[in-house]
Amino acid sequence: MQEEQEFIKRLLNPKTQNQAFQRLISDYQRPLYNHVRNIVLNHDDTDDVLQNTFIKIFRHLKNFNGDSKIFSWMYRIATNEALTFLKQKSKLSGISSETLQNKTLDNLEADVFFDGNEIQLKLQKAIALLPEKQQLIFKMKYFEELKYEEISEILGTSVGGLKASYHIAVKKIETYVSTN
Amino acid sequence: MKTFKLENEPKIETGFKTPDDYFENFSVKMIEQLPAGEPKIIYIFQKRKNIILMVAAVLVIALMIPNLNYTTASSQALDRIALENYINYQSNVNQYDLMRVLETKDITNMNTSIVLEDETIEDVLSANSNLENLILE
Repeated sequence: MQEEQEFIKRLLNPKTQNQAFQRLISDYQRPLYNHVRNIVLNHDDTDDVLQNTFIKIFRHLKNFNGDSKIFSWMYRIATNEALTFLKQKSKLSGISSETLQNKTLDNLEADVFFDGNEIQLKLQKAIALLPEKQQLIFKMKYFEELKYEEISEILGTSVGGLKASYHIAVKKIETYVSTN
Repeated sequence: MKTFKLENEPKIETGFKTPDDYFENFSVKMIEQLPAGEPKIIYIFQKRKNIILMVAAVLVIALMIPNLNYTTASSQALDRIALENYINYQSNVNQYDLMRVLETKDITNMNTSIVLEDETIEDVLSANSNLENLILE
C-alpha cells in the first residue's frame, strides 16, 4: 500500500511521470490486454481499445484521487472502453450487440490469433448467451482468475451478488455445453 | 448424455493468441503516443482581454473629455473682469439705474478711506483725457 502511494506520487509528478507510466504499461499491459480481449474477442480491436485505455489513463492520472487501488481504477477504464467500443461498433454496423458478438464468434475459427479447440470454442459460444454483466463476471473470475473482492471493486457490485451471478453463469454454461 | 461440470474439467483457456513481440512493441508504441505534456490552454478572449480593456478605457476617457470640460467650466467662479465687461457692454444698466437702486446706506458702506497723495491724484487727473466731461456730469 505504501509502495503504491509512492508510485502514484511518481505518476503525478511531471518530472517522474513518463518513467513511472512506462512501468505502469509494462506491469499492466498483459492483464489489461487479456481483460479487453475477453470482452471484444478480436485482436485488432483489442489493440485499439488497449491503446485508448492507456491514453485515457495517462490523461486522467491527475483525477485519480486514490480512493481505490490503481489496479481497479485501470480495470474500470478498460472495461468501459471495451463496452463502449462494442456499442459503437454495433451501432455503426447497424446490428444489435448480440448479433455482433455472434458474428465475431463465427469469425473466431478463422482468426489467426485464436487457436482454441472445440471445447474452447463451445465455451465462448455458451458465454455469449449470458447477459452482459454475467459474461463480465464469469470471464473475470474464470479466465482472469480475479478475486471476488477485486471484481467487486472494479464493477461496483457486492461480493455476494458476484458469487450468485457467477454461480448462475456456470450453471447456464454447463447446461449449454452438455446439450450442444 | 454426458453432464458437463466446469469444476470437474481441467481449466479451459481462452485460446487467444497475440502476434510475436506484441507486448514489447506495444510498450514502445504507447510511449511514443503519449501526449508530450498538456499544453496550457490560452483562450482567444483571455489573450486579447488586456487589449480590449485598454481600448475600452481609452474610449471611456475620450467620451468623458467634453463632459469634463463642461463640468470644469461650470464649476469655476465667475471671472470678475469678464463680469464687469459683460455689465459694461452687454447690459442696459447705466449710472442712473445704479443711483436709483443704491440707497444711502449702501453708499456709506462703499465709502472707504483711501489715502491718496496729491501727486497720485494729479497723475490720475492729468492722464484722464475725459476729465472735463466727468466734471460736467
